[in-house]
Amino acid sequence: MQKIELMHKSFNILTGVIILIVFWYLLSLILNTPALPTPLTAFSSFFELFTSELMPHLTISFYRVGVSLLIATVLGVPLGLFIGKNKKADEFSAPLIYITYPVPKVVFLPIFLILLGIGNISKIVLITLTIFYLILVTTRDAARNLPKEYVLSVKSLRANEFELYRHVYFPACLPAILTSLRLGLGIAMSVLFLVETYATQEGIGYFIMNSWSSLAYDKMFAGIIAMGLMGFFLYLLLDAGEKVLCSWIHL
Amino acid sequence: MDYLSIESLQISYAQDNQITPALKDLSLSLPLGSIGVIIGPSGCGKSTLLSVLAGLNQNYQGTVLINNKSPKECDATALILQEYGLLPWKTTWDNVGLGLQIRGFSKKETVIRTEQILNKLGLFHLRKRYPAQLSGGQRQRIAIARSLVLEPELLLMDEPFSSLDALSREEMQDFLLELWQETNLTILLITHNIEEAVFLGQKIFVMSECPGTIIKKLSNPLAGDYSARGKIEFLETSNSLRSSLRGLN
Ligand SMILES: Nc1ncnc2c1ncn2[C@@H]1O[C@H](COP(=O)(O)OP(=O)(O)O)[C@@H](O)[C@H]1O
Ligand SMILES: [Mg+2]
Repeated sequence: MQKIELMHKSFNILTGVIILIVFWYLLSLILNTPALPTPLTAFSSFFELFTSELMPHLTISFYRVGVSLLIATVLGVPLGLFIGKNKKADEFSAPLIYITYPVPKVVFLPIFLILLGIGNISKIVLITLTIFYLILVTTRDAARNLPKEYVLSVKSLRANEFELYRHVYFPACLPAILTSLRLGLGIAMSVLFLVETYATQEGIGYFIMNSWSSLAYDKMFAGIIAMGLMGFFLYLLLDAGEKVLCSWIHL
Repeated sequence: MDYLSIESLQISYAQDNQITPALKDLSLSLPLGSIGVIIGPSGCGKSTLLSVLAGLNQNYQGTVLINNKSPKECDATALILQEYGLLPWKTTWDNVGLGLQIRGFSKKETVIRTEQILNKLGLFHLRKRYPAQLSGGQRQRIAIARSLVLEPELLLMDEPFSSLDALSREEMQDFLLELWQETNLTILLITHNIEEAVFLGQKIFVMSECPGTIIKKLSNPLAGDYSARGKIEFLETSNSLRSSLRGLN
């Protein structure tokens, strides 16, 4: 049963990839410009450069996104649960979140570069901040809307506050948390690209922009493929996590 | 000696900057091992009353004694709700074991007791299912199992069968009666359903509109009699209840 589902999914992914490549190929034929190499050129450049040039950049980018996602989750989830379940905290924080949430955090890049330096920290802080808000708001809203009967019934078993978080609030909000992580991943990748194009010589974003400015379009596309695959891999990881942790949703 | 006694209970909620009473001067008592049923209009404070008895709401005035203890001190009560009582992210097994886990029973003891109660209630084959994979009746049986595994003395049930279809509902009423006959449980059950009140309630309490208080107490010898559902007295009691409820509007 699960095997069939997995095969089905792999088939869908394969179909998607083929359609994408065909489309790409046609487009490269039509445009006929060195700025858009054919898929074959791009992929052969990707495989050629993978271990030598791409891997070091990928590793550092992966580290930046991974750590950011982790920190944002560790901070955003407990805080979101707490705010969603505490009227006072909610009332206090709601206007603050309301005002700061829509502000694109990337505008603070120059400030962070000045304050935190051009190393990894400024980049990680910026990516973390962006996803943190998303996770915080999603978790808070999920916790707010939790039917109070769940809480009552477990409370009546004489559960304390910690046990409520463990058995009710957290598992109830987990599907929403994982959804926000998946959305957050897409945003994190964009922010990653942006922060890696300034004041750094490491990371896949740098590699892409550097290849671009030296007109090495096949190298540039190798970098784009690498970045795409990295996002896809992380997405699959989250997807698998959801399947394991929230199996009850899919009944 | 009454197992449960409530005297001059009063509760208010703060709502829209004003304090609205939900229960007013409510008194009732229930002997050990009996079934009491509360019937009354929507929003008259029935759930509020049960939350007090379950120790979830301590903001009340008046006297509430369960086996001579305050609801907060008494950990022999169990609360069963109409819906959402079971956690959808836990299997039957984990839902039933939850109370034991919370009360600090050892892993081994939890397994033994959970298995025992599931077998006793004929639910063991459902142990790996999630609530979404169960019928409404099965879910309520499991909710009852989760309460019983803690060996409570007082079972508080808030419209437990309201969301079930008519047939499952009667099945559950029979199921509850059987359980009750085998044990020494005292049960306080809330219902909207007049027949259910007459079938289950040895004592029937009619509540007024909000702020709720008891306006009629009825001793009902027909309770628990399986053959009563067709009897003429059953209809008479039902009709008398119906008219006192109608009198409210
Ligand atoms: N947490 C609460 N805060 C404010 N008012 C409440 C709260 N819970 C219930 N009430 C009010 O108290 C009254 C009784 O509610 P409830 O006990 O749920 O009634 P019932 O169970 O009989 O339908 C209603 O008018 C309801 O609006
Ligand atoms: Mg109610």
